[in-house]
Amino acid sequence: MRIALAGLGTTGSHLARQLRDPDITEIRLFDIDQQRIRAVRGALDVRVSPRSGAPDPEDPPDVTVLATPAGGHVQLAAKMLEAGSHVVSISDDPDEVVGLLALDGLARSVDRSLVVGAGFCPGLSSLLVRFAADQLDLVEGISVSRAGTAGPACARQHHRALKHDGRDWRDGRWELRRGGSGRDLAWFPEPIGARDCYRGALPSPILLQRRYPEARRISARMAATRRDRLTGRLPMLRKPHRDGGPGGIRVEVRGRAGGAGPTAAVETLVYGVMDHPSVAAATVAAVVATRTARGQGPPGADGLVAWAEPGELLSELARRGIQIAAFSGQLDPAPTGQTPA
Amino acid sequence: MTERAAGTLEPMLTLVRRVAAALGMAGLIATLFRLRGSGGVPPQTGGWRELTETDLTR
Repeated sequence: MRIALAGLGTTGSHLARQLRDPDITEIRLFDIDQQRIRAVRGALDVRVSPRSGAPDPEDPPDVTVLATPAGGHVQLAAKMLEAGSHVVSISDDPDEVVGLLALDGLARSVDRSLVVGAGFCPGLSSLLVRFAADQLDLVEGISVSRAGTAGPACARQHHRALKHDGRDWRDGRWELRRGGSGRDLAWFPEPIGARDCYRGALPSPILLQRRYPEARRISARMAATRRDRLTGRLPMLRKPHRDGGPGGIRVEVRGRAGGAGPTAAVETLVYGVMDHPSVAAATVAAVVATRTARGQGPPGADGLVAWAEPGELLSELARRGIQIAAFSGQLDPAPTGQTPA
Repeated sequence: MTERAAGTLEPMLTLVRRVAAALGMAGLIATLFRLRGSGGVPPQTGGWRELTETDLTR
């Protein structure tokens, strides 16, 4: 199994180390920083081919993992799909996610998988949503919250997301809501705990709505501090941290169990994760890349919410150290995602 | 002539100053409202439970 990995930032470096399947015979590393390639290469015990520039369509690997900062994933994904490689992207930029999803026809025509948003959120969050939704007969509402960031590129994306409009799915249509609005207190697994979360330009609703168009509400929020909101409209005032963890994910899925009719019982399922976003995103992407290279991914372009058997995938992630938790108890009177802006 | 012009400008400048002060106060109050407080009440009962492999694959 040959894997190409483009981008060795904080998440990409972790990702390379997580590619530890015995079937992997070669890992090709691409980054503009040769020193970084050498550092990561030294930590791997399979055949590593350090490369410069971008993955080469003339000699396609089984799967290409795109872990570069947002922007440029669409063109590279199209090129590698045409060359016959599966593609896994960890982009969390909503416009880029839309662009990648538009490659669905191309991916299907060449019988390859393009996994969109295979990181922390979207990625792990989508798997948790699917895991919860599979326990319901009808999904009526989905709310996704995230806290923390991975590396500097992720922190910049977080900053951009807060000042741009977010897309909410409400009663069968998209609504643009102002970034930084819709404050909602989300309770993440400890030690993250309670964090105020806000709307922003987040791709999760776009990916989830494709799977659950019948849901009345699908929304996503991100944790932000007062300083984040006060300086959200300005350029970043200081250099981002090398790793913005620890962070968390909280997904809340409401729906009906025991039949899809109006008399069926309404259930709310809440799942969460606490981890360093860079490590968790890398683990998810590595596991998904390995499975995609084996042809286990669904054909075409879609998010991880389209993957059947999410429990089995989550179980492998748990074996690799990601702690997945369920919230049991009484939720607050106004459930997350139902609070008006 | 100059004294007459200064006489008509004075009330205009006062108005501009008052409008600027009112807008500044409104902005300050809006910022305070936006930043203070919290977005809800934390759950009063229950808690998180880590899922085992059995929970995930059943």
